[in-house]
Amino acid sequence: MNREAPLSLGKGVKLRHDRDGGVMLLVPEGALMLNASAAAALELVDGKHTFDEILAAIVVRFEVAAETARQELDELFARLAERGFLR
Amino acid sequence: MTPRPLSLLCELTYRCNLQCPYCYNPLRLRDYAGELSTEQWESVLAQAADAGVVQVHFSGGEPTLRRDLPELVSAASRLELYTNLITQGTFLEDALLDRLLDAGLDHVQISIQGAGAEVADRIAGTVVHEKKLEVLKRVRERDVALTLNCVLHRFNHDALEEVIALAERLEIRRLELANVQFYGWAYRNRAALMPTREQVRDADAAVNAARERLTGRMEIVYVRPDYFDDFPKPCMNGWGREFMTVTPNGQVLPCPAAAAIETLQFENVRDRPLAEIWSESDSFIRYRGTDWMPEPCRSCERREIDWGGCRCQAFLLAGDAGLTDPACSLSPAHDAVVALRDGSSEEAALVARRA
Repeated sequence: MNREAPLSLGKGVKLRHDRDGGVMLLVPEGALMLNASAAAALELVDGKHTFDEILAAIVVRFEVAAETARQELDELFARLAERGFLR
Repeated sequence: MTPRPLSLLCELTYRCNLQCPYCYNPLRLRDYAGELSTEQWESVLAQAADAGVVQVHFSGGEPTLRRDLPELVSAASRLELYTNLITQGTFLEDALLDRLLDAGLDHVQISIQGAGAEVADRIAGTVVHEKKLEVLKRVRERDVALTLNCVLHRFNHDALEEVIALAERLEIRRLELANVQFYGWAYRNRAALMPTREQVRDADAAVNAARERLTGRMEIVYVRPDYFDDFPKPCMNGWGREFMTVTPNGQVLPCPAAAAIETLQFENVRDRPLAEIWSESDSFIRYRGTDWMPEPCRSCERREIDWGGCRCQAFLLAGDAGLTDPACSLSPAHDAVVALRDGSSEEAALVARRA
């Protein structure tokens, strides 16, 4: 995962806002349920925002410590990138 | 509380130009010749979306034999359903691919029958392997997610590393190596198709090594043969819990292989709304949750992990769909699985799938 370049969802990966208010990531032959902060972060994976920009937005929106947020976002994105869900 | 269906498998047709003996389709293919119309399938999709489904899989048989496939993909996309095409790929010419991508297709799974033409074409019963490789290269270039699938059995297990190497050469992002599941034609051919213990052991090691080597480049989905494990697979993640299948003639099944269970009556979308069939029909209620479970499942701490395993396998091997899956080592009928596993033979006749 390139930290400098804007991030996009991988091929065949879609964010879905569900009728019950939940957000899920639809992926090839599966669906991942997202918590509020993961959903907010993935909303910003749109080919325009870089990792640091997404992190900054999450820190402001959820009023969390930057270091904690960085670690969590890093883990989430690394996991998704490994499966090709981020590029 | 009735769970919400998340995933719908549309088996558009059981027609297919291949004759793979590992097919899970039912033996009585002709019973399904009266296929649903385009309008009926569109209604199924709309009803499914209404019921909560988010992902739809178009399969068969060979779904590209339905000329209305792009229309159905388009209808599903308009309903905001994630669309997946499960195909053997031989008809995926550029023109059809264009139409499917324009219709909003999100993902395609293409199957091969082996690493090389000789084995693959023998299994398919016709010359298709080279054509599939050419199709795979073209699909790989397009803006659609792609999974390469290969069903494993005695006759191609030893070439598993070659299948992985082929996937690497084709730069496949997601590879599914699924051991044959013994239903339909595969159940009929179980004695011939059953891999040996050595093959399964070698495959486990080869997959582990490849996963390590290819981390971040290729995801390998590996389905072990459950006749070889101590515990059964969590079939469908529980009966009537997330998945439903609609057969070519409109029958609604909790599992694609469920038609084999002769003691259940399955209802049809021609006669009753899909949501009612899901929430109220005996066929879906009978084995939903854990209340139906006999021992050893009832008191087992794994009961909400594997949901008692596979109902179809319980019916086929123990004669009662309401028993513990005999694939479980705790099942009183486990001997039947052991006998099948150890009594298989390369000499057994292989019957090609045909209508």
